Amino acid sequence: MRKLKKYLSCLFVFAMVLGLLFPLQGKVQARENKEEMSLIYANVPADWTNPNIWAWAKDGKTAFDAWPGEQMNEDKNNSGWYYMYIPKWANHVIINSGELQTKELELKEGNAWLTVKDKDNTEISTEQLTKGDLPEYVKTFKVHAKVEDSWKDPKIWAWSAPDGKNAFDKWPGKSMTKGEDGWYTASVPEWVNSIIVNGNDGDVKTTDVKVDPAELWITVKEDGTNELSYVDPAKANAPKIKVYVKAPADWKNPNLWAWSAPDGTNVFTTWPGEALKKDENGWLVKEIPGWVNSLIVNGNKGKVQTKDISVKKGKNVWVVVDSKKSFKVYYKEPAIKDDASSNASSSKSNAAPIVAVVALLVIAGGAFALKKKSA
Amino acid sequence: MKKRIISLLLSISMLATAGFTSCGKKSAKSATANDPHTIVIWHDKEDAVTDVLKKKLKTLEPDVKVVLEKKSDLTESLKMVGNDPNSAPDMYIFAHDKIGVYAEMGILEPITNLISKDDLSKFMDSTVEAATYKGKVYQMPLYYETLLFMYNRLYMKDEEVPKTTEELYSYMKENTGGGHYGFAEQHSTPYYATVWINGFGEKILSKDGKAKLNTKKVKEALTYHKKFVELQPGETEYATVNTLFSEGKAHSTIAGPWMIPTVKEKGMDVGIAPMPVIDETQKSLSPYMGVQGVQVLKNAVKTKKASIKKVLKVLMDPDVEIDLAKASGCAPAQNACYDQDEIKNDNVVMMMKQTADNAVPMPNAPEMDVMWTVLGNLMTDINLSNKDIDESLKNAQAKADSLIKSMK
Repeated sequence: MRKLKKYLSCLFVFAMVLGLLFPLQGKVQARENKEEMSLIYANVPADWTNPNIWAWAKDGKTAFDAWPGEQMNEDKNNSGWYYMYIPKWANHVIINSGELQTKELELKEGNAWLTVKDKDNTEISTEQLTKGDLPEYVKTFKVHAKVEDSWKDPKIWAWSAPDGKNAFDKWPGKSMTKGEDGWYTASVPEWVNSIIVNGNDGDVKTTDVKVDPAELWITVKEDGTNELSYVDPAKANAPKIKVYVKAPADWKNPNLWAWSAPDGTNVFTTWPGEALKKDENGWLVKEIPGWVNSLIVNGNKGKVQTKDISVKKGKNVWVVVDSKKSFKVYYKEPAIKDDASSNASSSKSNAAPIVAVVALLVIAGGAFALKKKSA
Repeated sequence: MKKRIISLLLSISMLATAGFTSCGKKSAKSATANDPHTIVIWHDKEDAVTDVLKKKLKTLEPDVKVVLEKKSDLTESLKMVGNDPNSAPDMYIFAHDKIGVYAEMGILEPITNLISKDDLSKFMDSTVEAATYKGKVYQMPLYYETLLFMYNRLYMKDEEVPKTTEELYSYMKENTGGGHYGFAEQHSTPYYATVWINGFGEKILSKDGKAKLNTKKVKEALTYHKKFVELQPGETEYATVNTLFSEGKAHSTIAGPWMIPTVKEKGMDVGIAPMPVIDETQKSLSPYMGVQGVQVLKNAVKTKKASIKKVLKVLMDPDVEIDLAKASGCAPAQNACYDQDEIKNDNVVMMMKQTADNAVPMPNAPEMDVMWTVLGNLMTDINLSNKDIDESLKNAQAKADSLIKSMK
């Protein structure tokens, strides 16, 4: 068995090289599994239909992939109240509905009841303002749908087969929220294994679609035929970018770690990522998928590293790292003066004495040969 | 032939010994080589395992002091210094599959010279069989490992777990698409491919060290297996397949027990089930079994026999194996352990026991090194390069024969 493990470890290294060919497998699906959640209730004015919640942490980490966030669930037992569980760390929220939205609301730890008077005035309470038991937290997964423009107000109908348990009270189901990327999104309970996407109040629809309870993207044609993917098509089709790095000279064998935030899709399978290779201009380079928006440069087998480096998606990027805490990001190659602090330049400066010695030897050898010839 | 192997290994050993002894860093052994009350044991185990062993071995002090020394390059180091009493350990803990190599080198003491037949009979027959090379038992087993059929309960419900390979195939067809897989295995790496070959009743290496690749059963196994491969990702590597399963892209897999803590850490409700039965043969998919145990160096017995026997005796205590099972999910090698509730209630261990009933001890002959390489290439040819299976088998057989011949 040890032999096997050794053999496998060799394969493992090889597999890391293949990481870029298989970039979308690093989804940190477990993130939600281990997180503590807070229950957020919102009571909104009558004209705030199907309110959404957008949530984030102080450091900018967002709880949802894209604005306007997630549509809140209506509490049937408390008229006018909507609720949603969000990660406990997401203590900044905005409640929104179409063009209407609250100001940024900062929450204390724990559950919260938000009474939205209008877009400028919201009362925040940690005391329960709803009646009855609090709704149980149910793990969910996201369904993203792209539908034709003729499909108005897309909704999702979801159930568990073969027992027929429905996720929503009545057909045509839950409204899907349109994101900035044009995809409609809704969350459904994790026990769901079948869905129908529909539009025009249920007049147009897909057939029954059997699904795994995992984030998925379904592209629906006008006639209802569809294509299902568990890989974000935008990521799958994104062109690759190059990351150019200059790292401190004492960071041995610099590696790049790369991912997409906030969903946590990693490019490489294991920390510390993959090695950066020096190009002819002295930059350390790595080609990665264009959907990446977060990087860490590290060295010494991951023992030294930068903080998270946010970068623009789809653009080649130059990162000059001065130290663990200091780095600069450029989207055009900067004119960097080579000095001893960079790997690239240190390599050049190390090479210089060698070149000088070789040159001296050549000159001396030539002189000796000439002397001998003349003799 | 044997003499040539031994002389070659001895030459390597002597050269290496010279090299090693010239190095500045001394191992624990060099200082205690002549102390009959100090035993040095090399191992490559994780802390969870060694903590259990240390605790038990401590009970021998002050009569016998045991030094556990972790060696990441244990197998190669033993080849180099196995004959040098000043550099070699007195004992080592490792899987059984290298026994043939070291037995041929003449550095191992048969374990039956140190423990009684009665004691040996306490161990599961399959573990003793694994430790036997050319009729002699060279290892006192501690625990064993097999691959397991695992599934993600989020996707595959208990009642959906396939009992046969055809049920597995139907499940794969129904649940593969959009970047998710009903089942993913390291289909073209040799260790995993042998699960299917063994299930068809073939052993790729005969007991007398001859390659058996171009056979009717291997052809049937790999032909049948290929339809499963076609519903899996093209990548077959350890990290890729394990990541597919652990990240929720594959509903089920075949993997080692070491995978379980990783997926549990990620919040997966992981199920473990018996290997599906192959419809064609009515035998289960049969993984290899690796047996971890204690081997004793011949040189050490000359000067430290009494202490070595005490060490073996103390490690033979079933409580050690039960503690190892609790600490690291190791399946005990002694039959008596399976009467204890702590073991009976451990699903992983009990499933390994059940799987072990149909598992095949990994061959321990030196020729197996050749087979791993050749079988790996064969799987690539058939599964990934879509080469003609008859031609591939013929070429693989010729290659294996040639390499084994040159070994000798």
